[in-house]
Amino acid sequence: MAERGTNRRPLSAVPDPPSAPDGSELLRAVARGDEKAFGRLYDLVAPRVYGLIRRVLRDPAQAEEVTQEALVEVWRTAARFDPARGSATAWIFTIAHRRAVDRVRSEQAATERTIRVGVASVDTPYDAVADEVSGRLERQQVRRCLDGLTELQRQAVTLAYYQGHSYPQVAELLGTPLPTVKTRMRDGLIRLRDCMGTGVSA
Amino acid sequence: MTTEIHALAGAYVLDAVDDLERVSFERHLRECDACRTEVDELRETTARLADDTWSVPPPWLRESVMAEIGRTRQVSPASPPSSPSEAAPARRKSFRWQRLTAAAAVVVAAVGAGTTVYAVQDQRVREERAVAQQARAEAERARVILGSPDVVLSRQAVSTGGRVTVATSRLQNAGVVLLDAGAAPAGRVYQLWAIRPGSAPASAGVLNEGQQTDVVVVEGLPGATDVGLTLEPPRGSRTPTMPLVADVKLA
Repeated sequence: MAERGTNRRPLSAVPDPPSAPDGSELLRAVARGDEKAFGRLYDLVAPRVYGLIRRVLRDPAQAEEVTQEALVEVWRTAARFDPARGSATAWIFTIAHRRAVDRVRSEQAATERTIRVGVASVDTPYDAVADEVSGRLERQQVRRCLDGLTELQRQAVTLAYYQGHSYPQVAELLGTPLPTVKTRMRDGLIRLRDCMGTGVSA
Repeated sequence: MTTEIHALAGAYVLDAVDDLERVSFERHLRECDACRTEVDELRETTARLADDTWSVPPPWLRESVMAEIGRTRQVSPASPPSSPSEAAPARRKSFRWQRLTAAAAVVVAAVGAGTTVYAVQDQRVREERAVAQQARAEAERARVILGSPDVVLSRQAVSTGGRVTVATSRLQNAGVVLLDAGAAPAGRVYQLWAIRPGSAPASAGVLNEGQQTDVVVVEGLPGATDVGLTLEPPRGSRTPTMPLVADVKLA
């Protein structure tokens, strides 16, 4: 990976092999109503969209439902994607994460903010296959970069991103003042950005 | 820019803010170029966190999503909000209910368009639903087999790249074949075979052109000695074309 400051260019969330379809191009075709292109986009991103949503919701059945909602929203709003502002995958995951968090919050409201922690996530059988195609290198880099954060930064980022907690909930869980949690989320992400080389500036 | 609102950039990108904070931060973003760049960059960063969560959705979900987009109108490029988080509020409609009423929705959509269109679309929806339901039943059966306490896994590399994994359960008297192969040569498709002693190899499924992954339930698989994979002309063959590109020996 590029050193910080050198060669900072937009990266898609996973560097695709040369023959693989490009997310931005597919998304542009999708914006023109091309259902075939949407099918290819589905194949490209669905495992990560579903994986992310399931990680947040921890319930496969709900995750299936929310994945469908998120991907249909991608179809519906594809014309709003602006490649100048980032990669297609980042745009899609933003939609997916937001949907998952919305679902978690509405559930929390319904159950008087029962914070569901530690419910073991059951891997679907397809994970046996998924492991083979998951781009181990990318996973390793994400983990290595997360390891480079301070404990508080890492907890603040992962509790929010992977479990869908709001920053006041994170503050409560970590017993840390609100302004500190806000700051740690931001400087933690900035450190991750520098570690992964995911700057957008050309 | 006020420092206080700017400090919210991380929590905003992580969707850890409430609705009020989101609205005020997005107002701030419209006036602050530097903040917009920071938010865009941090979004690329959080997208990489999703790399770590890979999980293949059940196969029927693809059919279901494709059917749904087929009846979902797209927004035009002209209508602004550029930030995905400003998109229309979530429709909290029951998934199952949505499926059951899909045909009804088409009836409503087709009211002005004449009965022929209605009949064709209704037929299409019914077919899509039948495909989705069948795929879902198969996924459910795969789950049961893979969840069986006596399940045995066998794996074998494919000569064209990738792997075949076979899970068999004597209790269920069935197996699940999970294929994740490299690209097939042009004009060829993958076909799976169950090889049983004393009988001709039986086709266990033909993949479509360009298809490299599949999950197939094979009833009665514990009686077989091997699961074979071959390259065949599109739509498959009645007998396997040698050589096998993978031969999984079952325990």
